[in-house]
Amino acid sequence: MGTGMIPLGGEVQAIAAWLSGTWLHRFAAESQWVWAAMETLHFLGLGLLVGTIGVLDLRLLGLARGLPLAPLEKLVPWGVAGFVLNVVTGIVFFAGAPYQYIYNLAFQWKVLFMLAAGLNILVFYTSVARRTWAVPAGEHAPLAARIIGGVSLFCWVAVMYWGRMLTFFRPPFVVPPT
Amino acid sequence: MEFLARIEATAFATWVREAPTLWAYPTILFLHTVGLGFLVGANVAIDLRLLGVARQLPLAPMEKLFPVMWAGFWINAASGTVLLMADATTKLTNPVFTIKMVFVALGVVNMAWLKRRLFREPASLDDWPTPPRARFVAVTSLLLWVLATTAGRLMGYLGPVSGLD
Repeated sequence: MGTGMIPLGGEVQAIAAWLSGTWLHRFAAESQWVWAAMETLHFLGLGLLVGTIGVLDLRLLGLARGLPLAPLEKLVPWGVAGFVLNVVTGIVFFAGAPYQYIYNLAFQWKVLFMLAAGLNILVFYTSVARRTWAVPAGEHAPLAARIIGGVSLFCWVAVMYWGRMLTFFRPPFVVPPT
Repeated sequence: MEFLARIEATAFATWVREAPTLWAYPTILFLHTVGLGFLVGANVAIDLRLLGVARQLPLAPMEKLFPVMWAGFWINAASGTVLLMADATTKLTNPVFTIKMVFVALGVVNMAWLKRRLFREPASLDDWPTPPRARFVAVTSLLLWVLATTAGRLMGYLGPVSGLD
């Protein structure tokens, strides 16, 4: 076995086994059109996330410095909406073929970069957030915020990279041999 | 058809399709996704603003997002061409591909119009409500990019499908 990076314990396998018996698994695996629709929504969520959080990251890095940061904060809920859409559709994929993901190195990297992006957001809101939102048009964001913006952009691009790599790291089984 | 088969059989197309490395097909597919993110994403940011989200944002500096969109567009034109070459007999005979190209072309025309007309006097758009024509362009932009993305995804399900994503 061992196609995955993290040695997977019984708990992860137990979750996968449990998911395989749920209605969500049947819903996802029932028709290729469910899968196609979820994929489409997953890509639209990606566009929304990059369009809001990605644009904010670019501004933090110094692009379009004419934009004041306070109103850019209004884009954050839309980014969260894109992220939630992708988590929901992602859970449908996961439920549809759990073993294809838990034994998949690309999936593990993808989750790690999502966690890194989340941690980065946490760092932002517990440090320079207030000072950053106060940055007026024409001025640089604080150095820490610029670094956070760069890390955010890198993490989300890495999430896209490993998401696209998923199909090339598929384990050679639908249900692992026992 | 024979012409398409010849494209697919070139050394380059074969390498892209069959080389057992992540730097071939997988990386080009990734670039196509990143390009989508930046092209559609930057468009969405301007569209949302024109539709009233983050109304306090001045529109003029958002013009700096156009190079981001064009970078996304050209990354995707290049990576898309390579993906087509690798799978020419399937993708270039798929009517869904033609539909996707129509939506992409309309999306790009819409985007160019937005830049040439609305960004000529961006300050006139700063007050809410934005003029109806600006909101109309924002809605068409969102609609066209949603349709282009959807058509792109459905190429893996409708019409001739080779199994190459």
